[in-house]
Amino acid sequence: MIFLKRQLPLAITFVMGVTFAFQYYIPHPVSEEAITNVSKWMQIISGFALALGLASIFHVHAVKIKRQVPGWGYSIVLYAAMLATIVVGFKSGGETKVDGAQTAFGWLYDYSMVPLQGTMFSILAFFIASAAYRAFRARSPEASVLLVSAVLVMMGRVPLGQFLLPWTWDVTQWLLNVVNSAVRRAILIGVSMGQVALSMKIILGIERAYLGGGKDQ
Amino acid sequence: MIGIDRRIIFLLIAAAVLLPLLRPFGLPIKVSPEVRGVYEYIEALPERSVFLLSFDFDPSSKPELEPQAVALLRHAFRKNLRVIGMTHWLTGTGLADDVFSRVAAETGKERGKDYVFLGWSPGAGSLIIAMGQDLYKAFPSDYTKTPTQGMPVLEGVRSLRDVNYMVSLAAGSSGIEMWYVFGKDKYRFEMAGGSTGVIAPGLYPFLRSGQINGLIGGLQGAAEYETLIKRKGTATAGMDAQSATHFVIIILVLLCNMFYFVLRGEKGKAR
Amino acid sequence: MILGAWVAAGLTLFIYSFLYKDNPLFKLGEHLYVGISVGYSVVLAWHTVFLRLLWEPLKKDITENPAVFSSYVLLIPAVLGLLMWARFVPKIAWLSRLAFAFVVGFGSGVAIPRTVSSYILKQIEDTVNPLVTRGADGLSMGFNLASPQSGVNTIVLVIGVVSVLFYFFFSVEHTGPGKVTARTGIYFLMIAFGAAFGYTVMSRMSLLIGRFSDLIKFSGAEYGYASLVLLALTVLALAAWEMASRGRREV
Repeated sequence: MIFLKRQLPLAITFVMGVTFAFQYYIPHPVSEEAITNVSKWMQIISGFALALGLASIFHVHAVKIKRQVPGWGYSIVLYAAMLATIVVGFKSGGETKVDGAQTAFGWLYDYSMVPLQGTMFSILAFFIASAAYRAFRARSPEASVLLVSAVLVMMGRVPLGQFLLPWTWDVTQWLLNVVNSAVRRAILIGVSMGQVALSMKIILGIERAYLGGGKDQ
Repeated sequence: MIGIDRRIIFLLIAAAVLLPLLRPFGLPIKVSPEVRGVYEYIEALPERSVFLLSFDFDPSSKPELEPQAVALLRHAFRKNLRVIGMTHWLTGTGLADDVFSRVAAETGKERGKDYVFLGWSPGAGSLIIAMGQDLYKAFPSDYTKTPTQGMPVLEGVRSLRDVNYMVSLAAGSSGIEMWYVFGKDKYRFEMAGGSTGVIAPGLYPFLRSGQINGLIGGLQGAAEYETLIKRKGTATAGMDAQSATHFVIIILVLLCNMFYFVLRGEKGKAR
Repeated sequence: MILGAWVAAGLTLFIYSFLYKDNPLFKLGEHLYVGISVGYSVVLAWHTVFLRLLWEPLKKDITENPAVFSSYVLLIPAVLGLLMWARFVPKIAWLSRLAFAFVVGFGSGVAIPRTVSSYILKQIEDTVNPLVTRGADGLSMGFNLASPQSGVNTIVLVIGVVSVLFYFFFSVEHTGPGKVTARTGIYFLMIAFGAAFGYTVMSRMSLLIGRFSDLIKFSGAEYGYASLVLLALTVLALAAWEMASRGRREV
């Protein structure tokens, strides 16, 4: 049983990892056929995996309703909205438009989901302004450099800044294409090396967190 | 002053956005080389070339990336390119289809003949590999459930190797970098990126190395593209408000530092 | 469309009411957002994954060629997907490990060569550009700051990449020349973070501009002055809620 629960998954990871790492270098038709089919399978399996994420939202709010914690009424609103969207969606055949005409599902998407999601993230604009006023201080030489760079980029990337101080445009372009590129490149190289190391650890069975824990890991 | 109620700052920002939208002042927009790179490549493509546009964003990034999508589609349709659309972001699917339908209607383009919107499919990198190996296996039907096999717009297109140019409009990690790593690296199509302002600085290394041949960054990038195609849209209309809000933030930051140094000086004198 | 405008404007203002304080209108909007998003995801996932990618191709293959093994090959990912769902049943939860092993193994395997090629080799290749070029007049070095590929910018780039990589290398103590390199790296990092802040401000403000544009559109007569009426109602509702909360606190 321990073989099925521990060794077999690790063996599968190893075989899959090594096979598809080497597949990149092998242009043989069998190799190409393998990656064609398995990548298609991954699309389908990812769809099943989506359900895992959705299930956790169901569970969290079901517990809130069951225990009647403060604010559990909002969890009922959440469930009601979810069920209503699912019913409307299935009745519309999963389509937002049919022959150019908007369906009820499309209406729900355009006039509820889009404004809600858009507004949720746009509210950060207010908080970024408030945080900039309270916390963005030139306390040290490094902070001063950060501040000057931020002000130059904010001026150089908008028409008013380009109009009042045209040189800010050129300075911004230089900062982005040279200095920023250098930093981002270094971070990218470092992070990528870490990713490759982690992938190798997973394939070799050193890293096992993805198996989901438990005493027989 | 330093402990001012943050709601006053919120009102200042709201005013800085609202007033220029109601009364625009219309400053000229300067075009950057990175946006020009995308424009010139599309401009040089022959008619009926295959252009893949991936809407890798959702409604939370709509104000920045939808204007980019509209400008690119207008350009592509004007050049009579065959456009393939798709998305990696589930909640962005309806938005992407809406953009296609709207721009196609205004330019007289026909679904299935001039463009196809494949819709969403899960898989991220695996999806790109699947498209790179066999487009019809990855997307057996399009968003309207029409089989992709035999579609006039996809004639001669077997996989990503047959795509002439690709632009990914991205709001996060499932976007430009993923398209390069799993797509262009093996399947060798030319590509560029359109991104939100948040991730744009992180894409400059790819621009420098030629891994992407152009980058349209944020609303400013969209406005630059609208300037190039000589068709003003929502991006250009929003740039005055953008200018005003930036200046409000700059003034707030300078004020904050002025009060900080004054207070620090007074504390020093008190000692 | 008019009803849609009222709903969209109303929901937008509910979310913006958070700027005053966390309140029931915001909580309502927030929970509606999650509920509708989850519902939308369920519908689309069903139609795309189960119907379009799995059921229809499987049905077609089995109907046309029932005796051929390859017609049944899509059952493999279906079984692996179902194995993932075994996680919900504690007694057979261990079966999900087989599915995760398959997916994670494939993902790790395909990522290695592609990451090395795209993120490491290509980036290093562009960093070590030649400083001088051979032309008709002999060797020359570009000093044009406006051209990203010029010699002087290449020097700045190399210094930047090396110093930042060194700064993040904590296995060696940053003393002597190492300290100078690390400090250089810090200054490069500060410039990049400043640029990132500037772009983040640009991005967030753009989102706000987009929402306000919609609110302005919905404030027109053709939409029944939706934004204006709903703004007034939201302010009144918040005032009433604030007064009621204060009354409860005093009691």
